[in-house]
Formats: sequence, structure tokens, C-alpha cells
Amino acid sequence: MKEWTKRVGPWTIVGLFAAGIIFWGGFNWSFELTNTEPFCTSCHEMQENVFKEYQHTVHYTNRSGVRATCPDCHVPKEWGPKIVRKIRASNELWHKFVGSVDTPEKFQAKRLALAEHEWARMKANDSQECRNCHKFEYMDFSEQGRRAVRTHSRAFDEGKTCIECHKGIAHQLPPIYQEIGAPRAVAAR
Amino acid sequence: MKPIRGKVPIPEANPADTYRMERHDRTIRRAHKWQPPIIPHHIRGYQITKNVNTCMTCHSKKAAPESGATAVGKSHYLDRDGKEHPNISTRRYFCLQCHVPQFDAEPLVGNTYMP
Amino acid sequence: MSLSRRDFLKANAIAAAASVSGIPVKALPADAAKESDIKWDKAACRFCGTGCSVLVGTHNGRVVATQGDPESEVNRGLHCVKGYFLSKIMYGADRLKTPLLRKKNGVYDKNGEFTPVSWNEAFDVMAAKWKDALKAGGPTSVGMFGSGQWTIWEGYAAAKLLKAGFRSNNLDPNARHCMASAVAGFMRTYGIDEPAGCYDDLEHADAFVLWGSNMAEMHPVLWTRITDRRLMNPHVKVAVLSTYQHRGHELADLHMIFTPQTDLAILNFIAHHIISTGRVNKEFVGKHVNFALGNADIGYGLRPEDEREKRAKNAGDADAMKPISLDQYAKFVSSYTAESVSRLSGVPARLLVELAELYADPKRKVVSLWTMGFNQHTRGTWVNQLCHNVHLLTGKIAEPGNHPFSLTGQPSACGTAREVGTFSHRLPADMVVANPKHREVAEKIWKLPAGTIPEKPGYHAVLQNRMLKDGKLNAYWVQCTNNMQTAANLMQESWPGYRNPKNFVVVSDPYPTVTAMAADLILPTAMWVEKEGAYGNTERRTQFWRQQVKAPGEAKSDVWQLVEFSKRFKVEEVWPPELVKQKPEYRGKTLYEVLFANGEVNKFPGGDNDESRHFGFYLQKGLFEEYAQFGRGKAHDLADFDTYHKVRGLRWPVVDGKETKWRFREGYDPYVKKGEGVRFYGKPDGKAVVIAVPYEPPAEVPDKEYDLWLCTGRVLEHWHSGSMTRRVPELHRAQPEALVFMHPNDAKKRKLLNGQEVRVSSRRGEIRARIEIRGRNEPPEGLVFVPFFDEGRLVNKLTLDATCPISRETDYKKCAVRVAKV
Repeated sequence: MKEWTKRVGPWTIVGLFAAGIIFWGGFNWSFELTNTEPFCTSCHEMQENVFKEYQHTVHYTNRSGVRATCPDCHVPKEWGPKIVRKIRASNELWHKFVGSVDTPEKFQAKRLALAEHEWARMKANDSQECRNCHKFEYMDFSEQGRRAVRTHSRAFDEGKTCIECHKGIAHQLPPIYQEIGAPRAVAAR
Repeated sequence: MKPIRGKVPIPEANPADTYRMERHDRTIRRAHKWQPPIIPHHIRGYQITKNVNTCMTCHSKKAAPESGATAVGKSHYLDRDGKEHPNISTRRYFCLQCHVPQFDAEPLVGNTYMP
Repeated sequence: MSLSRRDFLKANAIAAAASVSGIPVKALPADAAKESDIKWDKAACRFCGTGCSVLVGTHNGRVVATQGDPESEVNRGLHCVKGYFLSKIMYGADRLKTPLLRKKNGVYDKNGEFTPVSWNEAFDVMAAKWKDALKAGGPTSVGMFGSGQWTIWEGYAAAKLLKAGFRSNNLDPNARHCMASAVAGFMRTYGIDEPAGCYDDLEHADAFVLWGSNMAEMHPVLWTRITDRRLMNPHVKVAVLSTYQHRGHELADLHMIFTPQTDLAILNFIAHHIISTGRVNKEFVGKHVNFALGNADIGYGLRPEDEREKRAKNAGDADAMKPISLDQYAKFVSSYTAESVSRLSGVPARLLVELAELYADPKRKVVSLWTMGFNQHTRGTWVNQLCHNVHLLTGKIAEPGNHPFSLTGQPSACGTAREVGTFSHRLPADMVVANPKHREVAEKIWKLPAGTIPEKPGYHAVLQNRMLKDGKLNAYWVQCTNNMQTAANLMQESWPGYRNPKNFVVVSDPYPTVTAMAADLILPTAMWVEKEGAYGNTERRTQFWRQQVKAPGEAKSDVWQLVEFSKRFKVEEVWPPELVKQKPEYRGKTLYEVLFANGEVNKFPGGDNDESRHFGFYLQKGLFEEYAQFGRGKAHDLADFDTYHKVRGLRWPVVDGKETKWRFREGYDPYVKKGEGVRFYGKPDGKAVVIAVPYEPPAEVPDKEYDLWLCTGRVLEHWHSGSMTRRVPELHRAQPEALVFMHPNDAKKRKLLNGQEVRVSSRRGEIRARIEIRGRNEPPEGLVFVPFFDEGRLVNKLTLDATCPISRETDYKKCAVRVAKV
């Protein structure tokens, strides 16, 4: 038995190791709890706005029952980026506290900023969360519609990333300027 | 003589059928030239709200050449008074009022209309 | 306005060429009519109450194309998807071409098979059944159910035949299911029916409030006008109130999903808010408004033996009201605070205040729009009145952009059902059978002996089905409507009523609808431009069209059927001797001679249509001109017959050739004298009435056993019961089946998957249908929505035949059901 092990005692080491597992496990367990749909939708802001919209989309219910829950798209899978995203998310607690989007009207007013934020994040990471499931190299063009084949081939050649076209697939879109009617005051382009 | 509800007597519950929205992309022939085109593809999840009209991502005059979709017609640039504008008239904003997609249902009964 | 028919056609050809949409046209079949061969004429659209004008293209005796009429003020070249397919509605392969009588061994038998017969045989059997019923049960044993889709002259001929000929007030239109509450609201508030404003309001308002109206699907062309106004003018606000989210919400600035029935409380809160924030328009109210307190606890229009009727204190006296003061009224509404109404309705208080401000803000012009959410309501008359109240308190009425506007669902609910007097209690031009002076006016114009028209109102729509079931209504004729599908409580009332062996039921229809299939005799009917017609739309606009093609086979128009059938009765067979004694010259004459060949109806020669050729005079013109006598000089003035064939409709009253856009206001309405400013001349003192009525709960509420609200309604692609639109392949394929729209959480709780077939059941019946949790309608948890167009589903097996006790209109929007796996 080494000197230092004698000094601290073998049981202490075993105890510390066990405690490490428990703390790490506990941390991870509670950390992952915050990565579930029930957690994300436990506040009315999410429930009444984004979750309600999402329930009408293909990522909630579809032919084969494969689903994407909130964290699948909004939280990175790798540990590092995940922690960074989570630390940033603590900002949301502050906004919950001050009630920044506590009514649907306030949420609507912020929708453009919130969406642009998320689009920028996804564009920057090459739509990593989309690609966790939708991998270009495994797509079968013979199973896709004519429009999809045409657009996908071109988009991938041009180095485009999913979010550039597939905006608003899980949530309602913010105001976007289109060549309709009078020009708008607030709109994404 | 049989009603379009089928053989099940009126007081009994008729089983429901299952239909899917058609996904083919080929233009569907119009009955006559004044009929707005039928939407030849599925539109599930497409948004037309006050904020955005996702049909226009492919069908606008600007997007159509690239997307290969049918561009909105000239009439859509006229306002209520018949004046032409560079932008699409907001009276035509909600596309689905005139253009509808199709499900894979067989006609309940024939139609003898001829153009 | 001085356009000749030739000019008209020429102008149309140019307009038609100009309005081509510019989309590349795929080659049409070689045998298709060449564009230059198509002959164009105008007509009113066959579908909803918007009253779009349509250009109908015919070639070789068939309709080959239709397009939105660019000249029409209503639609300016637009249609909804149904309108664009009008060319196909007449060509369903199962068009009925000959009368069909249930026969066994060559003779009529209630349980026999439908067998083709001649018109002669059909009318022989029918007349015999009518005479048997009249002999055994008197005039109240015969009746008729008509339609807001009847042309004006068809409704008028029916009213005359029933009320004067058979002396039965048992005539009611399907508009009872649709507009009766709006009528009662207008009559009680203003003393005269129909909206004060018109569609021009849509381009003038700063705010639109939709109360139980999904205009995006049900009045799409009017919705284009609101969309245009809203999107081009950012200050304009659109508020949408409903018990579920629908396409109208796509344009909404203010969304409100409220608990069914609590619209009553919300409107009382708005009144309270206007008063408590000092925004009553005192000058207007002082000069033009009276206040009254309406009777409360009025029951639900159910059968009298129902416990809910027995419990209701004023079930027998629903109409009564007594005068009160503004202060008393203010006190009455003061309990409807934002907080209490928010708790009741589930709408956040801040939204209620924001909504109330649209009305209260004197700078904002506001149009309230409603359809069946208000009218099909066990307190339908009340909720209509409550809406008039908030407009009257603020004086926001009868001027451009300020208007409480009731939208109609049928093309001539106004023009025919309401104005012509086809309701069981009404006569033409807002008169009623219960008023001896009104009966006298009608009897004079109709050249009848005094006392011909019975004074007691007849059976209204719901009562007709109950009386059929009870065997008290035995000879029954249904025209131009599909009431087996559309009346509430099919299993307990409609079906047993039609199939009661004591009754003989006749149904006139172009197609074998479920109503036709439930009948004993089916008469094949000419439809739309197969006859000359006239409709009156929501904004009081009367529009005419000419017969443009021939009906198939032996099919005949409703007016032909009514007038021809009248030939089968001698006055002595239908009137008591003391009546005949008053007019000895009528002895031995037929009802046809007394009612139609009466020197008035038959005084115009000509008429380029099948009916006029058959009867030998311009039948439609004669009927119209006789009918117009009722309203001229009485604020219901119609222009002369020929004018309407030249114009795209005119809004009555038409005085000195000029239409009226806004009623009750000087400068717009010729019936308001100089210096009067505003006058609600329907009331003797010229004042409208603000009627105080409370919130009261609905007739049936979800409970443990039946735990969901059921709301029924329409969809864009099909019109009403779908008898026309479901025969158009494109429209059928756009919406093949009625779905049960449901909240995803409600589906989850019941372990149901989207698209799964379910059994929806109520205390009255059950249907099978598929659920939809991702559809165009998004109900809140606890409510399902099922459209009624699908005769495969027949959602009215589930609904309760509870009515507004004042208007007698059924509540199709609220009953309790449960949903489970099949």
C-alpha cells in the first residue's frame, strides 16, 4: 500500500470515488432532465406559444412516429457546446423572472429577434442539430419528390445548409418581407 | 338509385375512409382557362399568416424561375380598382381561398361537364 | 345604369378577355368550346350570402366556363374556389331527371322502391295526399320547408300557395337554421330587418371584430376585402373571437378563444367598459336610443316535457321586455367586470379590455361581423342584441365604417327567406301573420277574402320535424334544401318524422340527397341558370339572372312545380264555405286561377324562359311586380323588374332609381328627412332599443360521461350539405371527408393517433370519422369541431335540437359528446 493511500485511508478513496460517481451522475441526471420536452414545456410561455405551434408540425407527429423533441433541435449533442448552450440558457431564467414574453402578444413582438437568433446559431454550426438525423449522404433521391430532388441537389452544390431554406418547419414564422402589398416596417428579409 | 354516402342506411354509422394529400408535382389540367390552377403537391405545414406567405418562397415572380414553380399570374398584381402594382395585391394574399390541394380520393360520382 | 342587354354582353366579352390571369394555359381538348364561341351572361353565384356576381359562359346549351365578374362591386372579378367551379355543379352524373315515387306492386307504398313516374302521376298522388290531410287534420296538417336558396319568386309563390292557398302558416325556410336570430335581433332592436350598412364599410373601418364567424372560409371574397384593408393599412386591427382557432385567426391582431356561450358576458363587459370609462355617446343615445330589460330564464326551445323547459321561469314568455333607464342599464351590466368575465370566458382580462377599447375609442371606426357563432345559439337573439347595444352606446352605426353587420350564409336568405315572408310567422316586407292589419294588407294585394290568412304562426323548422314525428304534420313538401342532413337531432326527430307511416313527404331536389332518399316522392329540380332567377344578398343587394341553359330530362324549377301543383286544387277543396261566400267569383276556380292567373301575376307577356313558355305569361316578372307592391313606399322599395336585368344588383330601398348604402342616416337613406340626422324609423318613436339581457348557461354542457364540446360548421371547399360541391371532383378531392378536429392533448389522453377512425357519440346518436390534430381548425382542449357537409358522417345525429326560444334557431355549436376508438 502506498504511503499516501495509507494516510487518507482506502475507504476514503472508495468513498470519494463513489461520491464522484454520485455527484457526476446526479449532475448529469439533473442536467439531462433539463433536456426533456416536459421540462422545456413546463412554463406557460413555451406551452402557449412554441409548443402549441410545434404540435401541428411534422416533427411532432408523422407517418413513422420518429420524433424530434425540443432539445433535439435546440441543444447540441456534444458535451462542450451543450454546456455553453446551457449557460447561455440561464439568461432565459432571467427573462422568465421579469416576464419578457409572458403573454402571446409579447412573444409575437419578440418572435423576429428570437427566430433570427436561432437561425444564426444553426447557420453557424451548419445546421448540426438537423444533421444529427437528416444526413445528406444517406438521402435517397429516388424516394424524394421532384421538387425536393431539384432543390436539394442545387442547394448542396452551393454549400447551403438546412436552415437557409427550412425555416419555420416547427414553429410559426416571424414577419418576412415579400413582394406583397405595401412594404412592412418590421420584417426579416 | 344510390346516395353518395354509399350503401349504409341513413340511421347507421358509416365507416370512415383514409385519404392522403396527393404528392405528385405535375400540373393538373384546368377545366377552363378562367379556373385557378389546382395545387399539384401537398401543402401540409406551409404557413400563410399575417407574417408570411410560404407559397411565395417558390411561386413569387422572383422565385419562380429558380424554383421551377408556376409564377403567380398578372391578375394578382391588380388591386380592387384594377390598378397594376409592382407587388402582389393583398386581396390575393390567402392563396388557399382559390387554389386547393387534392387528396387521393376517387370522385363520389361522375361529372359530365365538358369544356 | 342605362345599359342595354346587347351593350352588356359586349362589355362582358371585353372584360372577360381582359381578366385572363396570365398563367400559361395547358391545351384543352380539341372538342372544347372555342373562346370566341362562348356566350357570356351574368348571374349571382349559387353559393353563399356574399352574393358574388359571376359571368357564365355557355356553348351548345351547356355551361362551359364561369369567371368572377370584373364589373361587380361585390367581388370585382374574384371568386372563392367554389365559385370557380360553378360550371360543374349542374353536371353530377346522378342528376335526377324524372319524378320518383316509392312503389310496391305498381302503387304508392311508404316502404316501396323509388320508381320513375310521370309528373302527372306524381302530382296526382301528391294532390290526393294533400287533400286527405286537409280533410282529416285541417290546414295545419300540411306544410312546407323551403329555402334561402330559393329565388325570390319561388319563395313568394310558396308563401302565397301555403298561406293563402292552403291557409297554412306551416311554411318555414332553412334560413331558420341560419339567420332567424339575426332577424329577431334586428326586429327587436330597430323594428326593421336587415343590416343598416353594406360591404362598402369594409373599405372604411379601422377595426373588424369577428364574433363567431370564420369569414376566411365561409365568406372568402369578403375576407379578401378585409385582408386588403388590413394589410395595406397597418393601423387597422382585426379581432377574431371564436370557441376554436380557425383560418380567420391567420389575419388576427387580437385572438380570443372563449368558453362556449360566454360571448354574452364578453359583450356585456364591453358595454360596462364603455359606460364606466365615460365613453357613451351621450348625444346619440339621448336622441336615438331607448333602454329595455328583456325577460330572462327563457328556456331552450326543447320539447315542453323536457326538464330544462319545465324549470325555466319564462319559457312561455321569452319575448317580453320592459322599459328601463340608462342608469338602470348601467347597473345591470356593472357586474360584468373584466376579471369576472375573464374567469367565465377564459379570455385574459387584458385582451378583453383591448377588445372593448376598439369599440370605446371614439376615433376608431369599427365593424362587427357575425355569422353562425352568434345565430346558432340558444341565446342567439340576445347575443345579436348585445352586439347592437355596444354600437348604439357609442353611436357607431349606420355610417361608413361603423356598423354591426350580420353576414348571411345562403345566397338569398335575405332576398327570399326574410324579405318575401317565408317564415312561419311572417308575411312580405317584415309584416307578421299575428298582426290583423298586416294580414289585411296581404289579403288586399292578393285579392283574397278577409280572414284567408290564419293568424296563428305555423310550425317553425324544428317544430316541423317534431310534428312530423308526432304525426300532426302529414303532407309535407321540402324544396331546395337538405334538411335530413342539416336539421339537428336526426336520430330522434328528423328520421322518425320523415319515415312516420302517417306522413307523405315530398322532396324537390336536383340530386338524390339524404333528404330525398328519406322522402316518399322525389321531384327532379332545375337549378341555378337552368331557370330565370333573383337572389338578395347580405347587403340588401337584389341580383337577377336569365335562364341560360335547359334543365336535363324532365327536371322543372321550383316555381314551376309550385304553380303547376296549384292547378290541382279547387278553392272549395281548401277553403271553408264562409270564405268562398265572400268572393263568389272564385267559386269553382282553382288555386292557380286565384293566386297566379289573378290578373296581376299573369299581366306581363313574354319571358324568355321555360316557365313563361309553359304558363303563357312572364311568370317571374308577374310574381316579382306583385311582391314589390308590399315594400314600395315602406322602406323596402325595389326597383322595377327590368332594371335588375341590366345592373349588377341594387341595394334596397331603391327610391327614384337610387340604391341605399346606409340606412337610418340623413344623406344616405331617403327615408330619413332633412334635419333628422339619424332616425330608426322601424320603431314608432324613431329610437332603437338597447336591451339588457344577462349571461345564461347553455342547454347542454360536457360532463363526466360526455366530456367534450361539439361544435359543427362548414369548410371552404364545400357549401353547406355538399349536395352540389361534393359532385365536383376537384372540390371533393380537396376535402373528401368531414374530420373530427381535435386538440393534440385530447387525442393523447384518449390514446388516439392522428388520422385514426373514432366513434363520436352523444346522448342522441353516434358517427364514425377520422380525427385531425394538425388541421386548419385548432380547437382548444375540451372541444371538437366536425363539419356538416359530409352525408357519409351526418354529424347532426349528434347535435341537440335546442333553440333560441325567441328566434327558434337551433344551436349547432354546443352540445356534449365523447370520442373513443372504433
